Amino acid sequence: MNDWMQHLTIAPIVLPLAVSALLLAFDERRRALKRIMSLGTLAALIAISTLLLWQVTDGFGLSPASAPYVYLLGNWPAPFGIVLVADRLSALMLLLASLLGFTALFYAMARWDRSGPRFHVLFLLLIAGINGAFLTGDIFNLFVFFEVLLAASYGLLLHGSGTERTSASLHYITINIATSLLFLIGVAMIYAATGTLNMADLAERIPAVPPGDLPLLEGGAAILGTAFLVKSGIWPLSFWLSRTYAAAAPPIAALFAIMTKVGIYVILRLSSLLFGATSGGAAGFADNWLTWAGFATMLFGTIGILSARTLTRVAGHYVLVSSGTLLAAIGIGGQALLAALLFYLVSSTLAVAALYLIIEPVERNADEEDMIAGIAEPVFDDEYTGALEEDEDETGIVIPGTIAILGGGFIFCTLLLAGLPPLSGFIAKFAIIDALFRHAAITPTSWLLIGLIICSGLATLIGMTRAGIDLLWTPAEDSPPRLSVIEVAPIGLLLAACLALMIYAGPIFLYMETAAGALGDPSAYIEAVRGTPPVTKAVP
Amino acid sequence: MLVLSALPFLGSFGAAFLRSRNMAAALAGIVTLAGLALLIGFYPALAGGEGSVRLVVPWLSSLGLDLTFRLAGFSWLFAMLILGIGALVVLYARYYMSSEDPVPRFFAFLLAFMGSMLGMVLSGNLIQIAFFWELTSLFSFLLIGYWHHNQSARDGARMALIVTAFGGVCLLVGFLLLGHITGSYDVDVVLEAGEAVRNHALYLPTLILILIGAFTKSAQFPFHFWLPHAMAAPTPVSAYLHSATMVKAGVFVLILLWPVLAGTNSWYFIVATTGLATLLVGAWSAIFQNDLKGLLAYSTISHLGLITLLLGLGSPLAAVAAIFHTINHATFKASLFMAAGIIDHETGTRDLRKLSGLAHFMPITATLAMVAAAAMAGVPLLNGFLSKEMFLAEALATHSGTVLDSLLPYLATLASMFSVLYSVRFIHQTFLGPPPRDLPHQPHEAPHWMRLPIEILVLLCLLVGIIPTLTIGPFLATAVRSVLGEQTPIYSLAIWHGFNLPMLMSVTALAGGVGLYLWLGGRLNEFPSSPFIGHFKGRRTFEIVLAATVDGARALHRLIGTRRLQVQLRLLVATAFLAAVLPFVELGYSLGTRPGTLVDPGFAVLWLLGATCALGAAWQAKFHRLAALILIGMCGLATCISFVWLSAPDLALTQLLVEVVTLVLLLLGLRWLPKRLPDQWPDAGGLFSVWFRRAGDLLLALLGGGGMAAIAYAIMTRDAPQGISHYFLEQAYPGGGGTNVVNVILVDFRAFDTYGEITVLAIVALTVFTLLRRFRPATESIALPEQQQRQNAFDDAREGRTRGDTVWQYLLVPRVLMEWLFPVIITCALYFLVRGHDLPGGGFAAGVTASIGIILLYMASGTRSVETRLSIQPVRWMSAGLLCTTLTGAAAWVFGHPFLTTDFRYLEVPLIGKIPLATALIFDIGVFAVVVGTTALILIALAHQSIRSPRAAKPSEPTSKGAR
Amino acid sequence: MEIVLALAIGTLTASGLWLLLRPRTFQVVLGLALLSYAVNLFILAAGRLRTDAPPVVGREGPIDPSLYADPVPQALVLTAIVISFATTALLLVVLLASRGLTGTDHVDGEEGDQ
Repeated sequence: MNDWMQHLTIAPIVLPLAVSALLLAFDERRRALKRIMSLGTLAALIAISTLLLWQVTDGFGLSPASAPYVYLLGNWPAPFGIVLVADRLSALMLLLASLLGFTALFYAMARWDRSGPRFHVLFLLLIAGINGAFLTGDIFNLFVFFEVLLAASYGLLLHGSGTERTSASLHYITINIATSLLFLIGVAMIYAATGTLNMADLAERIPAVPPGDLPLLEGGAAILGTAFLVKSGIWPLSFWLSRTYAAAAPPIAALFAIMTKVGIYVILRLSSLLFGATSGGAAGFADNWLTWAGFATMLFGTIGILSARTLTRVAGHYVLVSSGTLLAAIGIGGQALLAALLFYLVSSTLAVAALYLIIEPVERNADEEDMIAGIAEPVFDDEYTGALEEDEDETGIVIPGTIAILGGGFIFCTLLLAGLPPLSGFIAKFAIIDALFRHAAITPTSWLLIGLIICSGLATLIGMTRAGIDLLWTPAEDSPPRLSVIEVAPIGLLLAACLALMIYAGPIFLYMETAAGALGDPSAYIEAVRGTPPVTKAVP
Repeated sequence: MLVLSALPFLGSFGAAFLRSRNMAAALAGIVTLAGLALLIGFYPALAGGEGSVRLVVPWLSSLGLDLTFRLAGFSWLFAMLILGIGALVVLYARYYMSSEDPVPRFFAFLLAFMGSMLGMVLSGNLIQIAFFWELTSLFSFLLIGYWHHNQSARDGARMALIVTAFGGVCLLVGFLLLGHITGSYDVDVVLEAGEAVRNHALYLPTLILILIGAFTKSAQFPFHFWLPHAMAAPTPVSAYLHSATMVKAGVFVLILLWPVLAGTNSWYFIVATTGLATLLVGAWSAIFQNDLKGLLAYSTISHLGLITLLLGLGSPLAAVAAIFHTINHATFKASLFMAAGIIDHETGTRDLRKLSGLAHFMPITATLAMVAAAAMAGVPLLNGFLSKEMFLAEALATHSGTVLDSLLPYLATLASMFSVLYSVRFIHQTFLGPPPRDLPHQPHEAPHWMRLPIEILVLLCLLVGIIPTLTIGPFLATAVRSVLGEQTPIYSLAIWHGFNLPMLMSVTALAGGVGLYLWLGGRLNEFPSSPFIGHFKGRRTFEIVLAATVDGARALHRLIGTRRLQVQLRLLVATAFLAAVLPFVELGYSLGTRPGTLVDPGFAVLWLLGATCALGAAWQAKFHRLAALILIGMCGLATCISFVWLSAPDLALTQLLVEVVTLVLLLLGLRWLPKRLPDQWPDAGGLFSVWFRRAGDLLLALLGGGGMAAIAYAIMTRDAPQGISHYFLEQAYPGGGGTNVVNVILVDFRAFDTYGEITVLAIVALTVFTLLRRFRPATESIALPEQQQRQNAFDDAREGRTRGDTVWQYLLVPRVLMEWLFPVIITCALYFLVRGHDLPGGGFAAGVTASIGIILLYMASGTRSVETRLSIQPVRWMSAGLLCTTLTGAAAWVFGHPFLTTDFRYLEVPLIGKIPLATALIFDIGVFAVVVGTTALILIALAHQSIRSPRAAKPSEPTSKGAR
Repeated sequence: MEIVLALAIGTLTASGLWLLLRPRTFQVVLGLALLSYAVNLFILAAGRLRTDAPPVVGREGPIDPSLYADPVPQALVLTAIVISFATTALLLVVLLASRGLTGTDHVDGEEGDQ
């Protein structure tokens, strides 16, 4: 591995940051330039994360032997400086994030990026924050990146302004600030008990913590967990979620689809490191709790889907359902189930993103207020009028058979979400249930999970068909919506990704299994972090 | 075999892009015929011995899910059915569909359905079967909803989809259980493991789940209600999906798994009872239908019931009969549907009450329909007769010796009587009798090509009926052998078994049916719905249930959900509290043994003050915002001082500066908040609910505070673990080149945190700015503050004074001072910056200081005058700062070091002395720039709001340049 | 010292929480400010207390860590201060905006039963 390859690990964070800093220097009138730069960045990110994937798997080999990549920031040895760790799981999440980012940004260029200033900067920074959260191996640094991605998400949520967005984001921001305070408290308690911040180091120190200090540690971990559960939208701490996502502009909502997954990812990572096989009863207790909370979340999401009146609400509650499924599955645990849920995570994230993207054109003919028109009119006449307010309608190449395409896309989304063939949703559902049956004894909990999965699937089907039939099949007087390639291509890309998941299910699943295995036995991770020496080359 | 199963999908893909009806039809026809040819090519391989052709394509092997194709005698027969009738339907549809409709789409769906059906039949893997099973549901949905402009089509489609999808999921779980029991999803393996399955503890749930799947698909009672509503589909679809193929899917699965699941009592009772019920219910309701297709739909239901019943009986002979009847039913029912379609097509109605005497107008169709109907009724010399004979014979034979068993013969006869009855009615009311009046169109014979499919099918009925052994015999034999294996019974397809009970029963049935019709005759038309069971409206029940679910969900959602922020915050706080407390409850709360630092009275007093301020703020924040603000400031001050006390000078400095800026911010914000005076906003403290909620909040607050205090105390009384901190102290100077350890950590050891932190700052600043661009103040706060208004009034009153004269100098002294102060502050900021590495200070502190200088300038001499003199471009600062930090970090790459690796030299500068020239300093400069930019941007943007003039008012000079 | 600081943290938290749960946006902002003080002190406490320790390390010779205050929490607090400042500013502006758009300063954007 040559010198430059070794810096690959940090590229997913630094690249978008640098580009956005550069973009700041240009003002809004240079839209074309900004578009090219940011889109290029995201394309590059896809390439980079693929390359990372290639590295951590020794060239897509599926041998679990391949060790994670550790990057010592500032060239300080492991437990002291901040480390970035790229293993199979984080590489996977990176790829997912950059894929979503690319599609969402592409879609946004239809018009959304003009409904407010600094869209691209915020977008790139959000991506940077997400990537950072996936890569970092230091709990306080994790906090920092959570703040980065949250701050960016505030900005993007408010993008395009309007009353609903503002009041929704008031809730969103307040809750998240409170959550961040919890995060800090948790970190402080853990530091107080162990005297370290590095995750791998923590994993090593925890067994040595004197019993007297255990409550501190566990309390801290519990508070931390609460913070992450809020992010991943667990019931009853997730009432803000569906409203927030519904208020956001479609491409933003599509990107938000991965933010709950960030919470899930962190829970997976920390629970595997901190409370892996080594820890005692507390973990079991937590798992149990997690399972039931997950069930509650699924139930709430299902109910929400049934009672939703708009598609955006359906989508929002579907996000809850998928989070609930993941959390419950994490709680139940088990190698096979872990692999299955990783597969489900990827599939459902892509699906819900596609749904968010397709909702807007589908509802456009039944749409109340166009978002751009919906922006609060400037009250002050000393407004700086940049390139934003010019309302040239560049729908791009309008393609024929809009309804057919929308219908097709919509049907595919429905199938994905409801877990019906032919797309990856079916495989995911099958894999989870199959894994549950592979357990030695089929416990009532697994039955409950299966039941909930089925119910939520049916609820999704019912909700989606109702909405879809009303929107697509009821004869519409007004002309069918105009649809531009810019809007169709990303949706197509996402659905194609799901199709690929389906077709290459075999190898992909092997990957998931090895990733799950690494989660089950974090020793490789810890070894890699502890073992990596600083670069000793002298500075000329 | 891959080709065979892929062909239809390719065809459908192609058809989707065709424009003309003929081309699509032609394509469909070709595809189907090609498939047929391929299939026939397979037959010899199967006919010879145990033949079952297999093809395995590895797919998701790790989960035992490989693409497996398995062609055995039975599936071959079924595939023949699918493709053969498919071909005929395509031909028929070509003439049936009017060219206004998007016909290519129709054929695309039809082919896709054919593909899924084939895929299911050819699957050698349970999961694969479930996969294609769901696909058939999907395409049937699309085909039923093909004419989606009319309501009934939409509803029917949705109902069918939901019911069958529900069944499909159950089937999937059932299959998964089966796989769990047998350890494999491979059909052949499962078929071997019949014994193990039947004895397994999970047999019953498995059976029930699979049966639910099969019954929903095959429209068995009580799931039968979707089928009649599916008749909203174009007739070719009804003929194909809803009589010949899809509804047989359930039967297919039952037959396929018959060797595995059948033979237990639970199987007998569930399946046989359901079948019998469906048989009777279907037949009974069919009698009273006034819609041709309705009648056929219900008769389909009853015949499916018959097949299910046969399977339920569990004897090999019955299974043979079931297979045989499946085929026969497909032939005659498809032809009947097509005939009905022709009638509908030519006369424009399907209402039995309107139709009559069509035989005069369309003799050929009439004849064909009559023969088919006769087959349905089980008239000798037709295929229906043979399987019905078998059925009756089986009904007579004893199986379990229960009541059900002994009743079976009579009920069977009754059911066949009914079927005779409705067949007769169908024929008589449609074709015989006087010529029809007031039909939508004048009826006439259908084009020849449209009749051809019916002719072929009817011919088949006759051939099978007359010379079964020569026609269907061998194929049936192969099929039966492939299913039953060694337990294949001896059966004869002879037409004439001599005078025996079954014969007698059919005769009774025929005579009775005809007799009943003669007796009831036209009176059947009066019934709006079938008596007794007609009141059971499956559809309405379904819709009621659905609506109830949705309403219940909404109610529940309101109950366990909320949009209110306070509730959510309460939940959050409570959860966090519990989460933190539980471990202490579990493991016990204990204090450490660390010798505490002795209490300094000053510190105690300080916090006595601080605590009072905090409480005061909490108390006053409602009405006296300003007071609360000041009190909060005091708390902040207390915090700063205690930082000093606890030997954290950096924190103290930063906190102090941040304090100032925050205060300014909040003050700027106050101007836009509504007046809150007790008299304007009566305190609702009287209400109990309010009182209760406040008590709850108070409790939460106290608990939270207590918890924090307790935990903090527990921490502080413990000895610190041997953590990582010593390293920083040791390495700060040798490794980081600074003596101010905290700062070295910030810009070197953990510089990455700082990097992220300034990013947050930048993002927030941008967001704030974006938000304020669109800022729309509440109407009552747009006007100038009272004081200014009063002054202006005063100025206006006196002549010789212009507005603002009164106040133009009121800040003169401070202004002069501050303008002089500005450079001092900036210098001080730079000093902070430079020395940061070794003494308290650093980029952040410096940045905030600088921006404080700026804001002071603003306050002193007013926004406009400042901006006329110096133009600040905060965004540029931010951009520059971020780039600077990034480049500093990336510079390390050049030396092959990781991001943010630092290097330092010391530089002798006259006057200032030895300053550390660490790359960390450059990094810190970047931080400085970002902080100045953001803070200035936020403050200025907010400050600007008060001098921006509402659109209503006269345009004011452009002054918001500085704000961006 | 410890007990005083603990009580201080407790009081700050309690009043902060009380304000956080109030229905008026401005109260919520102040509450968050108070809470962030509490949390900062808490983090500092996590490094145990040290009074009058030298702020900077000497340049020569080996360093005895036990003489100094734990620098790590201080660094964390610095970051935390900055971030909480930023978020407070943001929240303030958002509340102004929502007050302008919805015409009320109730957290739910509509006058509920305060």
